[in-house]
Amino acid sequence: MVDIEKNGEFVKVEQKFTSWRDLLKPVTEKDFKPGFYHYPILKRDAEQLGIPYRDWDPLEPDWKLPEGWKETFLNKFKELLEKNRQFKLFMDICVRCGACADKCHYYIGTGDPKNMPVARAELLRSIYRRYFTKVGKIFGEWAGARELTEDVIKELYYYLYQCSLCRRCSAFCPYGIDTADIVWRGREMLQSIGTVQRFSYISIAACARTGNHLGLLPGGVAGALQSVAEDVYDITGIEIEVPINKKGADILFVTPSADYFATPHWYVCMGYLMLFHELEERYGFSYTWSTYASEGGNFGTFASYELAQKLSHKIYEEAERLGVKWILGGECGHMWRDKHQFMATMNPPPKTLEDPVSPITGTYFENAAEAKIVHIAEFVADLIEHKKINLDKSRNDHWKVTFHDSCNPARGMGLYEEPRYVIKNVCNYFYEMPEHSIREKTYCCGSGGGLLADEVMELRMRGGMPRAMALKHVHKRYGVNYLCTICAIDKAAFPTLFEFWKLPVEVGGMMELVGNALIMSDEEQERELDLRGNPLKKNEE
Amino acid sequence: MSLVYLKLFIADVLPYIAGIIFIVGTINRIINWAKSPVPLKIPTTCGQQKSLPFIRRTWEDRLDSPYTMCETIGRMIVEVFLFRSLFRNTRYWLDKQKGVDTRWLWLFALLFHYSMLIIVLRHLRFFANPVPGFLSIINALDGQPAYVPALYITGILALVALFWLWARRILCSRERNISYPADHLILALVAAILITGNLMRYFFKVDLYAVKEVALGIVSFHPVSAAVVNQIGWIFFLHLSLVCITIAYLPFSKVMHFAGVFFSPTRNMPNDNRAHVHINPWNPPYHGISWQEYYEMYKDQLDEIAENGYKVKPEV
Ligand code: SF4
Ligand code: SF4
Repeated sequence: MVDIEKNGEFVKVEQKFTSWRDLLKPVTEKDFKPGFYHYPILKRDAEQLGIPYRDWDPLEPDWKLPEGWKETFLNKFKELLEKNRQFKLFMDICVRCGACADKCHYYIGTGDPKNMPVARAELLRSIYRRYFTKVGKIFGEWAGARELTEDVIKELYYYLYQCSLCRRCSAFCPYGIDTADIVWRGREMLQSIGTVQRFSYISIAACARTGNHLGLLPGGVAGALQSVAEDVYDITGIEIEVPINKKGADILFVTPSADYFATPHWYVCMGYLMLFHELEERYGFSYTWSTYASEGGNFGTFASYELAQKLSHKIYEEAERLGVKWILGGECGHMWRDKHQFMATMNPPPKTLEDPVSPITGTYFENAAEAKIVHIAEFVADLIEHKKINLDKSRNDHWKVTFHDSCNPARGMGLYEEPRYVIKNVCNYFYEMPEHSIREKTYCCGSGGGLLADEVMELRMRGGMPRAMALKHVHKRYGVNYLCTICAIDKAAFPTLFEFWKLPVEVGGMMELVGNALIMSDEEQERELDLRGNPLKKNEE
Repeated sequence: MSLVYLKLFIADVLPYIAGIIFIVGTINRIINWAKSPVPLKIPTTCGQQKSLPFIRRTWEDRLDSPYTMCETIGRMIVEVFLFRSLFRNTRYWLDKQKGVDTRWLWLFALLFHYSMLIIVLRHLRFFANPVPGFLSIINALDGQPAYVPALYITGILALVALFWLWARRILCSRERNISYPADHLILALVAAILITGNLMRYFFKVDLYAVKEVALGIVSFHPVSAAVVNQIGWIFFLHLSLVCITIAYLPFSKVMHFAGVFFSPTRNMPNDNRAHVHINPWNPPYHGISWQEYYEMYKDQLDEIAENGYKVKPEV
């Protein structure tokens, strides 16, 4: 296990090169390394979600697979092939060109050949060939096919949970093969036999019950928002009333629950409250939070189609119940893969929603015409462009900022310029990281896709290495001391990662910077502190 | 004597077998893909989305993150004809801790595929009488007249590119790791075809008029006679049978990527998800708690929020 305290500079990446036969030979519990495998699902979560449960340990030779597991698994495989053209296609057309091989941050950081995206997909492809193609049935190993055994299940469990579903590989593949999609399907198959990880299912079960990943009850959500408002009061002296479950508001605001629970997300949440309050004061903006739809994120997208649908459904149902016009979404990564690409397909938007038009500028968000959900960066960029809010850039002068494109808003949405536009308008010092590490080539934080679990710390620290090194470059060169990101998982993962790689860089969100710079009309005193309580740099100094 | 039968078999029967296997196999594959629906719209967005009017989108953004139908077609065209995604290729150098542009793969892949295309087009002249003008032009452009017979550049280029790609699979450890026997097999087949083809053109010359007769016979369903095949050297039959074997093998091999790329949802769908919602034909109904059930579960706390006027205030 890696020691976060020790210097991360000396982590050694040993690249192993094997032969194609080793590619087909399963890695089993004998070779599982601590820090790389996940704990299995908990009983209460499995029971709540209807997933077959048994008491098993990934390090034991006997995984106690449920009776008839092989049939269940293969039936699920068949069902998914029949339901998903992309999956079937991706099983067939890979030419093993290797263009994706070293694009995966886990491969870069671990040197383990099975972490090459193509090898990850081959885990399933080899089974596909054996059971669903003639060539594979006849020629077996020589055609790259292999039997489905308990060992293969072990290997699938090990490696399908070493992928953060970042889709970086998909950007480089000449056929657009999306390994994230393959892994998603593979996890669905594992779920049919109850061989899934613990971490994301805790949150999925909690969210299905309470409406948010943290399992906060309505009173807890209200209490958390109250504390955020209190912190805003401490900095600005303004008492902000936070609307919750308010019927008849114009806009429903959803954001990952971490935003009102964890740090540094907290500062972002302060930013939301400040902005919405200012808009309310000046323009009569009306919005509401919800406790039933208190989660923007969707860990179901790490598990299966049905679970993803289960979690995202609440948002539209709540929007309809409250009678809002449209929905505004906060800063989050995988949330936006879901909100942009999945949610409206999985849950048809209610007819009661209206065109997403900014009540302040009158801008019609044409690109959200049917799904009726607008990203906070789009919303704020539009406000700034129309000069509807007053900003004092110099309040962020103590930060030298760089922007990390989170995987999903980047490769699953194409949100590149809006956050940059906002950031450049709220701070004076902005620097880009090297070209190979931003925009569509952005590196994952190493902890996405359900990998934010503590037991896989070494994997996360290694997977985050390319991002950390790119940051180190701008840190050394320009003295960057603030990494801005619009993803809740990033905000949770990066502080540990940077501690490990010895990078003295703070992590925060776009709305924190906006909150700092925002000149509020009912703020009586000159602001002295930023949202974190740091003294602001004064001009005369 | 038996050799004549073999030659006749290769010239008159094998091409049909191969052709039928290829056509039926390919159609089968395509139908098989088409049978499965696409549940989600999942373009990989490699450029700026269309959003606000003042957010600039370059033409690259339009191709890498298409919003309209035209842009999507444009993306497919640059992907299929220019290998856009390969053009992005980098390598990660661990010692330098960064990714460095490596476009070699793109260059040689492009050279190989285009050379093969031109070679196939050149061969069409055997199947047409009279030869259409554009084929003659391709021939003239490809042939290097300084030599006699004119040296076809593509014949050499394809071979060079192929060996480069193969060497990559053998010498680069990563690629060796992921290369199955099937990956070598298809390279070996194509290499053998190219080599026999080149040998035939420059060293073991065959009677081209007889060859043309065979080719015309195949497309007009008029099998040629023993007299014709006897005029042609063995190397032609080697070449032809390799071609037939390869063609018959294609539907079962990874070469189906040529058809598959058109079906790839990460490339052929526009990034307009929120503007035009995609419909999933098998979308299941929602299973989970409704607001009403939620309300029953947490009635006290929800009522308290209601009593406070649906808002919380900081305690100061
Ligand atoms: S880039 Fe695509 S085709 Fe090439 S090996 Fe990777 S997944 Fe296969
Ligand atoms: S989706 Fe990301 S983590 Fe998964 S294989 Fe591809 S590059 Fe690696």
